[in-house]
Amino acid sequence: MSSQTLASPGGSPPGAPPATAAARGRVLPFPITGQEIVLIAVIAVLWVVLAFTTPAFFTSGSVVPLLVAMAPVATIGIGMTVIIITGGIDVSVASIVMVCAVIVAKAMVDSGVSLPVAVLLSVALGAVLGLINGVLIAYGRVHAIIITFGTANLFKFLGLQIFGGSTVNGIPDTLDVFGRGDAGRTLGVPHSFLLMLVLAALAWYYLRHTPRGRHLYAIGNDADAARLAGVKVQRRILSAYVVTGALTGLAACFVIAQGTATLAPNVGAGMELAAIAAVVIGGTSIMGGRGSVLGTVLGALLVQTVTSGVTQLGWRSQLASLFIGIFILVAVGVDLLRQRTRRTA
Amino acid sequence: MSTAVSPPAPTSAPPDETSGGRPSKLGQLPSAILRALLTNRIILLLVLIIVVLVTMFTLSARNYLSAPYDVSYLSGTLISAVPLVMLGLAELLVITSGRGGIDLSVGAIVSFGSMIFGFAYGQWGWPLWAAILLAAAAGALCGAINGFLIAYIGYPALITTLATYYAFSSIAIVINNQQPISTRPIQDFFSAARSVTVVGGSSPLQVPLGTLTFLLPTAVVVWLALNRTTYGRRLYAIGTNDVAAEWTGIDVRRTRFLAYVASGLISGLVAVVTVAQFASARPDAGVAGNGMALPAITIAVLGGVAITGGIGRVAGVVLATLLIVWLNAGILLAFTGNAGSQFQLFALGIVLVFAALLNGLTQRRYGGTG
Repeated sequence: MSSQTLASPGGSPPGAPPATAAARGRVLPFPITGQEIVLIAVIAVLWVVLAFTTPAFFTSGSVVPLLVAMAPVATIGIGMTVIIITGGIDVSVASIVMVCAVIVAKAMVDSGVSLPVAVLLSVALGAVLGLINGVLIAYGRVHAIIITFGTANLFKFLGLQIFGGSTVNGIPDTLDVFGRGDAGRTLGVPHSFLLMLVLAALAWYYLRHTPRGRHLYAIGNDADAARLAGVKVQRRILSAYVVTGALTGLAACFVIAQGTATLAPNVGAGMELAAIAAVVIGGTSIMGGRGSVLGTVLGALLVQTVTSGVTQLGWRSQLASLFIGIFILVAVGVDLLRQRTRRTA
Repeated sequence: MSTAVSPPAPTSAPPDETSGGRPSKLGQLPSAILRALLTNRIILLLVLIIVVLVTMFTLSARNYLSAPYDVSYLSGTLISAVPLVMLGLAELLVITSGRGGIDLSVGAIVSFGSMIFGFAYGQWGWPLWAAILLAAAAGALCGAINGFLIAYIGYPALITTLATYYAFSSIAIVINNQQPISTRPIQDFFSAARSVTVVGGSSPLQVPLGTLTFLLPTAVVVWLALNRTTYGRRLYAIGTNDVAAEWTGIDVRRTRFLAYVASGLISGLVAVVTVAQFASARPDAGVAGNGMALPAITIAVLGGVAITGGIGRVAGVVLATLLIVWLNAGILLAFTGNAGSQFQLFALGIVLVFAALLNGLTQRRYGGTG
């Protein structure tokens, strides 16, 4: 993160000086970068358009479910951001969601565990699965995408074995604190969304303002240089996967709470791509070394806005993926363009 | 590490240095075999295939399996190898092109191509060859979109193909209102997935027609393109080091672009195979369940394609597919009911992680795989 990245965000003309005198003294980039401003603008435009075209959009009956629905993907996205910043990726999170969800659901049905136990169990389980990923990637020195493709299959096998060929029925309402209903909100704000925001804020502070957080960026930029500079590269990478596993375990609780009393073996399907989409729409570079959690939360919000917007406009729900695809391309395109002007400036 | 630089071997030379010649030729054999096994993916895959076959034949002979695991069963299961090999080769091309090359959208292109083929052959009444050409062209067009964004604009491949995965699969579903196309001609097209006799005589060997009409031609064409044309040399060159390739005068962008077009084209052909297999053009043909992209990438990696680009062989992809298909076929007979398909996931995951770790190990010990 050199001062070159401090170039004024958004639509600054290419000829503008790269950094102002005040900014030159800064080590960190601005709290909000260009990508995030673009995202906020796009979301604002979408919300205004939706508010005018569908009168029901701005009622709390529409916005609150949107915030609830984005919580699981955004929670996973926080961890995924950290992993992608280090230059890795984790495509096994959907399978981790499945394993955690089925074990917690079974524990609630069979032995009626309480809320804290259920959440702790899910988080710990997710962390263990993340630890497996992390050990293989950090110490096996294999590219993350290959290992997580492999463990995705293994975790899925584990989950299906526990499902045992049928659904889990009669799940009690232990986890309704995170659900869609009235039990899941305080003053109209859903708990799952709040918890996600708190975690995102913690991650944001950690990544920006602690030495270990900065080390993660250093690893993503050049792992060898980071190692020579004294960063414990393998340990930091390992921790990124463990944290993501734990967050994915928490997201699994959200997923159970949002669903019905029945849990089917397809739980979590597609969440790995959704989380990666939220991260890259949020401006995190897939090459590592650059990105922010704030962008990821905005990216998840954008994806969810598009999804529910398409439904509310009465369009076919599958069109949502077309728009998500286009948004990914536009977001990355804008980012490429900004990098290019920065380089020539 | 390298044996080439070692001077006439001192007496303390470790036994696995083959250039020394001090220990007897016979004494070196075990380490030479180990070395070949670890560094040559083709040999490793061959050994693994033999292990799987011997194990399964033994289990079959002792009646542990629910049906005989014999040659005709093995050739019958090759039908599921057709899409795997073809998409694995598609991934081989794009991964070899380097710069984080990967194609997550192949499954979505298969869905899209299936619908296009369904329209042309099932509803518009086009002749078969024209419908196949159209499906291939549609796939190539999708691939061209990927290739243009990645090679010419400079998008990261993972993101581009993730985005087009969403876009293409959405179009495939919306294009015909989520409905599959299974008109009369499409249903009759199921005959393209039948088995034909290749070896006559006393014990005729039945082989799925798709392996002869689609799999073999694709494998041969890709092999020729990679090993017998300048395009192949260029592709390996840009995958190994695209800056150096640029300086030698190779049109890096065009070469990479064509790799993605070829990947899309092969996916379009796979769409035709899939329609024949299901006797129906399904809008979710390539993305249902786990999708087709992840298994294809798995096969490519297992076949020794280096995710960093520049390394990869057609034989590796074909052998990796045979290993997985025949292992899966055995697992299906060894377990009853749903458990079989679950253990297939387990086997695939274990084999992939094992192969990847082995790659990392050999790279450190011997400096790269052959």
